[in-house]
Amino acid sequence: MSSDFYNTSILPFAGIIIKLCRAYTNSQEDFEDYYQEVCLQIWRSKENFREQSAWSTWVYRISLNVCLTLLKKNKNKSQHFVSDALPAIETEDNHGFSDEALNLLYAAIRKLTEIDRAIIMLYLEEKSYKEIADIIGTNPNNIGVRVKRIKMRLKILLDGKIN
Amino acid sequence: MEKSIENIWKEGFLKNDALVAPKINNLYSQKSIHIIDKFKRMFKINLIAIVAFSFIFLIISYFVGIPLMGAIFFIALMVLVVVNNKLLNGLESINKGENSYQYLKSFNQWIEKQVAVNKKMSTFLYPVIFMSLIIGFWFKDAEGVYLGKRLVAEVLIHFPNIYLIYGVPLIGFVIMFLILGLLAFFGAKIYQWDLNIVYGRILKKLDELLADLESLRS
Repeated sequence: MSSDFYNTSILPFAGIIIKLCRAYTNSQEDFEDYYQEVCLQIWRSKENFREQSAWSTWVYRISLNVCLTLLKKNKNKSQHFVSDALPAIETEDNHGFSDEALNLLYAAIRKLTEIDRAIIMLYLEEKSYKEIADIIGTNPNNIGVRVKRIKMRLKILLDGKIN
Repeated sequence: MEKSIENIWKEGFLKNDALVAPKINNLYSQKSIHIIDKFKRMFKINLIAIVAFSFIFLIISYFVGIPLMGAIFFIALMVLVVVNNKLLNGLESINKGENSYQYLKSFNQWIEKQVAVNKKMSTFLYPVIFMSLIIGFWFKDAEGVYLGKRLVAEVLIHFPNIYLIYGVPLIGFVIMFLILGLLAFFGAKIYQWDLNIVYGRILKKLDELLADLESLRS
């Protein structure tokens, strides 16, 4: 990859990649691996970019698809929220941010299923339901209902810790 | 007042340290850890190993006097290589820039296709390899006669009343067909077990992701 491509086509959108990769990783090491892999796959897939969508949407798609199909080195931590009981929020190793509330929100997001994580991340990035549906390939009518449900779960998770 | 998740998100990312990209090392020469690339690498390595092994085996079989076995073995493995090489091309065409559903669906379809094809191939491959052993040794030269005929002659000395079909003891045919049946049955199962050990986790994860996405599409 030429450093030009990274600087001009990836780095301006690094925020998108960072936000997504953080939601799918539990440690700084995993995060760096995911970030690097996403950048690599964007570069490798650049020939397939058809300009039918914005470059940022393309970056979202690749980042999300790569995150969904990468396997963590250590999968000893539960990734799924399987109970309605209030789980204790763990910030794990708190990799990432100095903002405590944001760290807690990320910890709560990591408790969601992988598709729910994708939906809420796109929602928080102010994507419309149609855009979210386009990126993940679903019916836009169902996105609104799912977003509401995810927000309720996040609220339960965050209230259990923050109150 | 309690903050909404939207506010936590916005305010959290206003801080300067929130979106600092990690340092990237040797990205240009980095070995991909992505599952599709891992599949590609595994496929390529396997195919190269099979081609090398079948060539070496063909040469050795010629020198030890069982060229028929080497030839059948070689042809069977080459069919396996050609079919899997075609499957590999299908993997190359999966576009990571598609929407997540299409992308995961394409990957899942590729996996299902390669599992189905290789299970079918395994059903035939193990019996063919076994038959190549039998034929190879049967027609091996043993001091001017075929080894198989010589063995039958030895057996007839000890069991003169044994029932023969085309000059081969019936019991030999029964055992051979029994082994062929078992190999055909377990060939596909062995492939499936092997696949589950190596890729069971990603296959399960793919199923879960697709089930979740399909519930959102309905």
